[in-house]
Amino acid sequence: MKIGANIALLILFLWYLSFSATRLDRLHHRVETSWANLDGLLQRRAAIALEIAHSELVDPATSLILTSASHQAREATIESRSEAESGLSGALGLLLTDEPVTGVEKDLLRELGELTDKIRVAIALHVDAVTRTQMVRKKLVFRLFRLAGSAPLPVKYEFEEDVI
Amino acid sequence: MISNSLKIGIVCPYGWDTPGGVQSHINDLAGYLISRGHHVSVLAPVVNETSLPDFVVNAGKPLAIPYNGAVARILFGPIAFARVKQWIEDNQFDLLHLHEPAIPSISLLACWASEGAMVGTFHASAKRQKAIFAIGPILEPVIEKLSARIAVSEAARETLTTHLETDAVVIPNGIYANRMHGKVNPEWAGETIGFMGRFEEPRKGLDVLLKSLPIIAKSLPDAKLLIAGPGDPENILKKLNPEIAKRIKFLGRLSDSEKADFMTSVGAYVAPNTGGESFGIILAEALAGGAAVIASDIPAFSAVLQNGKYGKLFKSEDSVSLAKCAIELIKNPEERNHLSKSGQDYAQRFDWDTVAEEIFEVYEMAIVGQGKVRLTSDSRPWNRIWNWSQDR
Repeated sequence: MKIGANIALLILFLWYLSFSATRLDRLHHRVETSWANLDGLLQRRAAIALEIAHSELVDPATSLILTSASHQAREATIESRSEAESGLSGALGLLLTDEPVTGVEKDLLRELGELTDKIRVAIALHVDAVTRTQMVRKKLVFRLFRLAGSAPLPVKYEFEEDVI
Repeated sequence: MISNSLKIGIVCPYGWDTPGGVQSHINDLAGYLISRGHHVSVLAPVVNETSLPDFVVNAGKPLAIPYNGAVARILFGPIAFARVKQWIEDNQFDLLHLHEPAIPSISLLACWASEGAMVGTFHASAKRQKAIFAIGPILEPVIEKLSARIAVSEAARETLTTHLETDAVVIPNGIYANRMHGKVNPEWAGETIGFMGRFEEPRKGLDVLLKSLPIIAKSLPDAKLLIAGPGDPENILKKLNPEIAKRIKFLGRLSDSEKADFMTSVGAYVAPNTGGESFGIILAEALAGGAAVIASDIPAFSAVLQNGKYGKLFKSEDSVSLAKCAIELIKNPEERNHLSKSGQDYAQRFDWDTVAEEIFEVYEMAIVGQGKVRLTSDSRPWNRIWNWSQDR
């Protein structure tokens, strides 16, 4: 009788471990995909910024600033990425004018606007995935049974909060 | 990267044929998505199958359960769970959009059962939900599966951050702003105060408005109160002084076009709700109709009115403060017209064209890197071993 109860408990516990491992695995997957998504969007933003820099929309000075900012953002290492992306946001801020824009440039600016909205959502999703994962991994059962395996603890970069 | 036409499954927790904010939100959203060429299936509990739109799938009869101060028509249990799983398996969705997944309902069951791109929308923001949120530790791993969360208001978002420690993107409820542009009905115009809603429900705050009426009448001898919405007028009138009662006119339930005319005509629209409101869709509609709005300063309303920028706010449950606002507004046509004009422009923010695009943006972000939505049980280790041994 007693053995039966113990076995039932053990099975329940093993189920819980498996459940927790799946849960953490899902979170890790989300951190990876949300980062890949955000990274891709940021790359596209840099590309559009470069295109705008080479268009007739901007004066030579702005063009120079935009070009260097987007190059920096594209080539930044993981440590300097934050600063580079914020720099690009600042440079793109220079483009906000009240003057009506026409032609190809109008499309570029519209695309940039749409991209900015998407980046905002992508940042929110990524930050959420990271905080969630960090929180879950702090829990005792996850640390005790090393459910995270060898996966590195995801980190938040500064720019994720206020890149726009 | 993403094919243009998505297969979207939406789960509605409440009985489809009982009127409610969540149901009409889903109905409008589904309609909008379908008009954009997406395939949409809505799973909802249904009482009466006869007048169901094509895109709604019946999940079974809802149970009437007292919940959150009202009777909620929701559904759960093993049979419902089996139907939910069947629906997910049959449809091969790209994305699931679950409404109110934190209450015991088929939304929660769907979240529990599936794996893949899922978006959850949180509508409620009531403190009264504490009992439900107390089971947070059980809900947490389930809610965590949502790739993206949407809250319909700052208040709903706060409920979410405090009770479930997770953040959300705020996207308001949608309205069809253009359909609210009505014609002026001379009978309803002038020194009139409009009220709309189930006036017998205490939280709608009609009592506050009735108490302010004698004060308003002193300054505005012609003041009239127009009450639209379902309910029995006798229950209200018998408690009132006849002098006041004769200023009140009950209009009953209005059709959509009458509602637009009502909002366009009234001298001031008053929303004296005392609480329990998460978003205040009625205010957005009133603004879109060009009404000058006076509302109680509960968080949901001051958020919609941007702290009084697009309408006057009075201290909730304070009749004197309400009367003061109403007199000021009706006596000052310039301010009234200014509020009406700026409010109408601002209400475009809540139009489905804007709101649905924002929701769709979240869909696009949630879907990245995910395959079709599938049942969780497929990916559990022992099932994987089982499938593997079957394959051999």
